[in-house]
Amino acid sequence: MMFRAAPVDPQIARSSRGLWGDAARRLRRNRPALVGLFCIALFALAAVLAPFISPFDPYEMNGSSLDAPSLTHLFGTDLLGRDIFSRVLYGAQISLFVGVGAVVLALIIGGVLGAIAGGFGGRIDGVIMRATDVFLSIPSILLAIGIVTALGRGMVQLMFAIAVSYAPTFARLLRGSLLALREADYVVAARTIGASRVRILVRHMLPNALTPLIVQATLVLATAIIDIAGLGFLGLGPADPRTPEWGTMLVDARRFMQTAPHIVVFIGGAIVISAIGFNLLGDGLRESLDPKLKR
Amino acid sequence: MGRYIVRRLIAAIPVLIGLSILLFAYIRILPGDPCVAILGQHRTPEACAALRANLGLDLPLWEQYLTYLGKTLSGDLGSSVVNSQPFITEFLTRFPGTIELTLGALIFSIGVGIPLGRLAARKVGGWADGLITGVSLFGVSIPVFVLGLALVVIFGVFLGWLPTQGRIDARARFDATSGILLIDTLFAGRLDLFVDVVRHLILPSIALGSIPLAIIARITRASVIEVANEDYVRTARSKGLKEKMVDNRHVMRNAWLPVTTVVGLQVGGLLGGAVLTETVFVWNGVGRWVVDAIENHDYPIVQSTILVFALIFLVVNLIVDVGYALLNPKIRYQ
Amino acid sequence: MKNLRIGAILGALLMVAAACTSTPSAKEGGTLIVALPGDIVRTDTALTDDSNSSYVIQQVVEGLVGLEPGSTSKVVPVLAESYEMSADGLTYTFKLRSGVKFHDGTDFNADAVVFNYNRFINIPTELQDYTYYIGAVFGGYGETSNLESATAVDASTVAIKLKKPSSNFILTQTLPVFGIQSPTALVLGKGDNTESDVTKITGAQGGAGAMVGTGPFKFVKWTVGDSVEIEKNATYWDTAHLAHVDAIVFKAVAEEAQRVNGLAAGEIDLAQTIAPVDAATIAANKDLQLIDRGSSFNTFQISMNHNYAPVSNPKIREAIAYAIDYDYLIETFYAGAAVKATNWMPAGVLYAKDLNLPTYDVEKAKALIAESGETDLTIDFWYPNDVTRPYMPDPKGIFEAITANLEAVGFTIVPNNAPWRGGYLDDEYAGKYEMWLLGWTGDWAGPDNFLKTAFFGYVDGAPSTEFAYKNDALEAAMNAALAAGTEAEAKTQWELAQDLIRADMPTVPVANSKPQAAATINLKGFIGSAGLNEPLNLVWLDRP
Repeated sequence: MMFRAAPVDPQIARSSRGLWGDAARRLRRNRPALVGLFCIALFALAAVLAPFISPFDPYEMNGSSLDAPSLTHLFGTDLLGRDIFSRVLYGAQISLFVGVGAVVLALIIGGVLGAIAGGFGGRIDGVIMRATDVFLSIPSILLAIGIVTALGRGMVQLMFAIAVSYAPTFARLLRGSLLALREADYVVAARTIGASRVRILVRHMLPNALTPLIVQATLVLATAIIDIAGLGFLGLGPADPRTPEWGTMLVDARRFMQTAPHIVVFIGGAIVISAIGFNLLGDGLRESLDPKLKR
Repeated sequence: MGRYIVRRLIAAIPVLIGLSILLFAYIRILPGDPCVAILGQHRTPEACAALRANLGLDLPLWEQYLTYLGKTLSGDLGSSVVNSQPFITEFLTRFPGTIELTLGALIFSIGVGIPLGRLAARKVGGWADGLITGVSLFGVSIPVFVLGLALVVIFGVFLGWLPTQGRIDARARFDATSGILLIDTLFAGRLDLFVDVVRHLILPSIALGSIPLAIIARITRASVIEVANEDYVRTARSKGLKEKMVDNRHVMRNAWLPVTTVVGLQVGGLLGGAVLTETVFVWNGVGRWVVDAIENHDYPIVQSTILVFALIFLVVNLIVDVGYALLNPKIRYQ
Repeated sequence: MKNLRIGAILGALLMVAAACTSTPSAKEGGTLIVALPGDIVRTDTALTDDSNSSYVIQQVVEGLVGLEPGSTSKVVPVLAESYEMSADGLTYTFKLRSGVKFHDGTDFNADAVVFNYNRFINIPTELQDYTYYIGAVFGGYGETSNLESATAVDASTVAIKLKKPSSNFILTQTLPVFGIQSPTALVLGKGDNTESDVTKITGAQGGAGAMVGTGPFKFVKWTVGDSVEIEKNATYWDTAHLAHVDAIVFKAVAEEAQRVNGLAAGEIDLAQTIAPVDAATIAANKDLQLIDRGSSFNTFQISMNHNYAPVSNPKIREAIAYAIDYDYLIETFYAGAAVKATNWMPAGVLYAKDLNLPTYDVEKAKALIAESGETDLTIDFWYPNDVTRPYMPDPKGIFEAITANLEAVGFTIVPNNAPWRGGYLDDEYAGKYEMWLLGWTGDWAGPDNFLKTAFFGYVDGAPSTEFAYKNDALEAAMNAALAAGTEAEAKTQWELAQDLIRADMPTVPVANSKPQAAATINLKGFIGSAGLNEPLNLVWLDRP
């Protein structure tokens, strides 16, 4: 959120039906993207299996304070004697949930606005685009701070704050690709048959315009967790401090950077690896979906 | 060209109006009585009444908005509810710190990001490419407060190479005139302090610049690769031109355009990132000030800081776009 | 060639000798960099109630009396050479030091003292929110103030009359808040009760007339949000205690790790407060020293508001007291630099006795809950999310641990947090919280400061909105104690008050902490005080 990733080229959307099949084939040949996919799979697995493979209850204080990594506590324990490995596993669940939640919310808000703007054009398009300009001109951390101070603390508010700062980018992307599709042959054809505007938009244009959005969403997932950590650092984190959310855990861990640096390394490592995973996959998707890069 | 600029300026008007409505609404949607929210525990009925009059809370909404707009247009950006100082004076004393920091970060991210991107593009999929992609991804994936503190512990504490915090050695008790210490120290003839200021700038610039660095390196890499595949570059190469010549003459000249745009877009992120970076590095700038303002419920300050940051972002991007148009005549007539 | 070399060696030897002989003078000079946890709030001593402002201002502005360095209760004369109390306990006569000048060059005399005390009595209503201690000590302003009058008997004698005897009067006058500032400067800075908008009192905002006292340091400038600079007063009246350092810069360093990093890198000489988790790092660094401040002068408690069930039930409060693992909290969050609370005030305070408070006993807690008859055991519980306090070094961690303790005995905790100044203090004071974390650092070493001012005294004749704790007998005992004519009577009343509080267990005291300072090894002469009255003119930087 602090820095918006470079927007995806809406041109990607200009494509034919076999796009996804093609893309999958190309993705399989893209080594970095596979590494990314592997990282994400690792964390998705951690999230799903957390209740089964966690050696300890992530909330239970079952070790002594700040234990070094050992066979019992693979990643050591935190100040309260909780098993960091278990907390990182459960954190995968929560952080991925919050990250995905925020991005999905942003996709919905941005998608609806973008679809209206790109699908109908005219004055409403102008209004929506100026509105996105307004939001994009505000540094997103300040926007999120503003939202959290106005709405109060909590996971939902955090998700919403982050969603609002991503939504304008999504809206612009979707609008861009819809505009590019307007003159596409099959859209013109549908129009000449006399299909309604809404039907053309929903049936013909949207499915083909969504790809850049998906790519961007993947990239943005990587930053959502880091943004939550930044807000937590400013005292605007979730209401329940025990939640094993990676960002909050990292904010705590920074206090032990000199005495127990392994904590920062393990928790930071989890964040970095998942963020790199989403970034590599996003890049891979972008490249595989971009017909221009066809070899 | 003049017409293009005028057109861009006119296009900015609705955005500014939208921004003013949003910021006007912000103060009003704060939870509870604005008097309680702003004045907090130290409130008296008199102070409340004064605040209400100051914010014009007793008027109808549209009239309140017009008052706010009128004040803002006349350059009155409100004043702190903590010490009554006008926003502008307080902002200007801190802004030099933020300028130095963001410029430092920008120089770092461009100065390192573009060469890295070019290096990575030279052999796509090679080890340098992989390494650079990895490092830049690491840069975007780590929160600035962790990176900042880690840099401080390594380079400030263990190695002792660089200062850990602040803008200048506090023992020097240097009296700044303009507030931009890089200039002030030079004018005062204090070369030693100038060096000290530069040393203080290094770690925070790296911490703040890490994310734009990654983005700039990636966009440089991507646009160099794209341009390198264009026909005219192939032609140049097949003509037998030296690789270096092709690079400078044909590739970079065209690859610059998207890179410039992305640099412009990073300014907003840098100003936002300064909020966290300044807090970590005990840096006297607008970012740390706004964090204090949030903690003190000094919402007029928060409101006007957002406004000024947004204006800076819009102006910088206008300049970037105009520069872009100058470089690329095709844009102008679109 | 050879001669040259001998000459060089001789020269070097001479220089070494010179360096050795000049060692004593290395004690003088230099700039001291002090890291405070936060910025000061105002520069007018009367208009402050926070520890950062007091810490700076006490170096610049002095009162009639002060505390002996390192002590929280031993009163020493400062601007008064001596004082005596009349037989009826109503009039205090102060004999003032002569030849003392304020930093602005004007004379310190009886008129100046009278000017300042008249100001204390007549603080305008709008400003009374900022003069917490004046109100708390004198019980109000104007008609309701316990200050009757301050009059100049002669140029160097002042008589201060009270309306009713107050056994804590002299002790309270050691607070930095009651420092004597130059009347000329107060007029200049609008601190003479003519301006009622605190933001326009330049003397309080670092502008004209700010912090003009008689102390060993003079105010230079305040860079709001960042630092305060003061410099040596070369004409300080107490020539035996002239400042050693030329200047002090107080920097607001909110990020705890950066205080330690700054110390290790030599950019900070003294960190006024460090996080207990950093104590080990400092102890392990041979260039740094940890500074203890002696016995504790604060109380950390789990606060409760009796308007809410189930904490309105005394059995529940007692159960909570048994549910807390005190030793664990002290070991984990205070790194051992704290003791379990045995009272609502720390052990060193006058008349404080061991009240035999509950210790960690899960079974006992469960039994009490069963006895209480409460069925809904859900409690709303709050902590501040953006600060640390001397008595509460890690609010979030402590909150998590206490929550775990309470859930272990059957409570259901609804966790909440809010920013300290941005809601927490307002809301807990207004009675919006059921249970929350808060404590108190002592201002003066009297029981009234803790039991009455900080905690359970009535406000405007009724239980405070904060705790909603109603106990008329307690209120009567505390008032009787303060007005007591004899020491013995005061003791009896304060002991009664403590028993009454113990019987009700209105809140659960947890620990008395001993917050530590840290400094570079070169820093000498520092005398730590649990009440943070630490005169920095005694400090020097030992430079080899």
